[in-house]
Amino acid sequence: MSILLDNETRAVVQGITGRIGSVQTAWMLDYGTKLVAGVTPGRGGETVHDLPVYDDVYEAVEKHGANATVLFVPGPFLRDAVLEAIDAGIKLVVAIPEHVPLHDVLQMKSAAEKNGAWLLGPNTPGIISPGIGKLGIMPGNMFTEGKIGIISRSGTLSYEMAGLLNEVGLGQSTMVGVGGDPVVGSRMIKILQEFEVDPETEAVIIVGEIGGSSEEEAAEFIKEMKKPVIAYLAGRTAPSGRRMGHAGAIIKKEGQGTVESKIKAFKKAGALVASKPSDVAVLIKECL
Amino acid sequence: MKLLEYQGKELFAENGIPVPRGMVVTSALEAEEAAAQLGENIVLKAQVPVGGRGKAGGIKFVDNLQYIRSEAEKLFHLDIEEFSVEKLLIEEKIDITKEIYMGLVVDIDTGDIVFLFSPEGGMNIEQVAESKPEQVFRLIVDPLEPPPLYQLRHFIRQGGFQGKILEELTKIASKLLHIFLKYDLLTGEINPLVILPDNRIIALDAKVEVDDNALFRQKFEKKFWEERDLLEKEARDIGVTYIKLNGSIGVIGSGAGLAMATMDMLEDMGFPPANFLETGGGITEDLMYNALKLVCKNGQVTGVVINIYGGVNPIEKGAKGIVRFVRERESPPIVVKALGNKQEECWEILKEGGITVITSVKTEDAVESIINLINSSNEKTKIVGEGVI
Repeated sequence: MSILLDNETRAVVQGITGRIGSVQTAWMLDYGTKLVAGVTPGRGGETVHDLPVYDDVYEAVEKHGANATVLFVPGPFLRDAVLEAIDAGIKLVVAIPEHVPLHDVLQMKSAAEKNGAWLLGPNTPGIISPGIGKLGIMPGNMFTEGKIGIISRSGTLSYEMAGLLNEVGLGQSTMVGVGGDPVVGSRMIKILQEFEVDPETEAVIIVGEIGGSSEEEAAEFIKEMKKPVIAYLAGRTAPSGRRMGHAGAIIKKEGQGTVESKIKAFKKAGALVASKPSDVAVLIKECL
Repeated sequence: MKLLEYQGKELFAENGIPVPRGMVVTSALEAEEAAAQLGENIVLKAQVPVGGRGKAGGIKFVDNLQYIRSEAEKLFHLDIEEFSVEKLLIEEKIDITKEIYMGLVVDIDTGDIVFLFSPEGGMNIEQVAESKPEQVFRLIVDPLEPPPLYQLRHFIRQGGFQGKILEELTKIASKLLHIFLKYDLLTGEINPLVILPDNRIIALDAKVEVDDNALFRQKFEKKFWEERDLLEKEARDIGVTYIKLNGSIGVIGSGAGLAMATMDMLEDMGFPPANFLETGGGITEDLMYNALKLVCKNGQVTGVVINIYGGVNPIEKGAKGIVRFVRERESPPIVVKALGNKQEECWEILKEGGITVITSVKTEDAVESIINLINSSNEKTKIVGEGVI
């Protein structure tokens, strides 16, 4: 088993006729992902890698019962494509593009929350359930089947983490890239809750970063979890952001957002914290 | 992109928020001419993209036109947090009966748009927020369903206003919200928003930051970028994110997390990073070549770690850029850790180009390798040096 992306997933690729969309579709199919159709407005009737292309997501839902989407549309068009998918009833939306306007992210997030859809990203490598499929751009060869869940804010660091786990013989149930943007569609804590109830996941790794408060929030749930959680946090040496105006200072919650505050929150909640990625593999062996 | 005060005020004025009469000047002579049109009581305001300008001496009140020129000269010679003053905003001085705070911001932690309002605005708003949090009112704005006027009126009324002033404040709140949403703002702040003795309400300051990712649809003239460093400006043109740091090892990572993890490890090993550079997922040959060129422009750099995974593009493209760089230029030692689709091709290209390649998944292997390379090249220099003696 796995979370979010499983044997019931029937995905469409929005932006399938683009250069990146087409290449990535081929790689997702090679990996064994169950893709049912592609969507590009104005290109209905064509086929890409033997998948039918439709003009809108609604048609893919009607004809194929599509319930997930992965998007390769350019950043400027992402919002409308995501809002369309959510309106068409898609419950798992994987938004790959980076450089998406923040206001668009806020709108997509609001729509996803109102409709009970999972929105991963933007700026995410996607989601992979090894042995089942992948909706995203992560190299399939970096992941193996197993029982470790990974939640990551960083795409490439999640590949590294999976690679390090493979070396000690630990495969992954699902790796969820929540997205590297300051604001993303789904909070870390929600995904942690899914892993906690997934019978095939035995432990969860969180790959966090400096900034925001999603790790601190996730720590609140870790306190109640039965499964072990191991965290790694990048960015001790990163400079803190520059801001202007007073608004940022007024809304800021004290003692959140730094690597230190995140480490403290995780430790207090009973999670193990690794000082470098390869230590995660050592720590996880001790918990299992 | 942060707008300068006068640019923010132009935006306000265009959208119906009243601002003081004023002019922008670039010399003391122009200042004098402008002041002559504005009256006896004048404020000179240095135009820099940072806060705390008042405390840094960047605002001058002048009540006698004969001092305008000398006061303007002083401001033009000022540096405020590394920014030299190139423009002054000259405004009529406003008599104030009350200072109010009004601001919209995206709360990055929660992903909410937050409307902030306080009847106790001014320089000390942050202290007010701390000591009298009940005097700072908040309204969460749903970007898909922004609040109508009556909700804004209800929100503003909490500040103890009524009648005409409440109505005027509500209109300004509505306009500020409109501007915030229409122009893709990250911050839209008026502090202070002032009530005049005749009950008019005017925005005395404007703090406006536009989302860089939205500049494709916002037609702001790029009058000004916030980078304090020329290299950071160049990075934007190349399409990477670069931040200069104080150490000696250049870092190029595909992805912010991976780059930061590499930096943290370098620091732990006693070789602090010289920069943060993130390529994003679409590495091309040119992008990698330019990124490497950029990193090596920093004279402190004694070695470079490149830590990349194949993203939307196959990874061997980046390898070609690296090889081109070391062929064409004097290059410090470089270690490349590259994994992902077509990694074998990538390693082959790099090895043929004489570059140290790490094929393991451990970033610390790359970090150790660059340190060994630097240490051994230092050894060599030492031996050569001794030979000369």
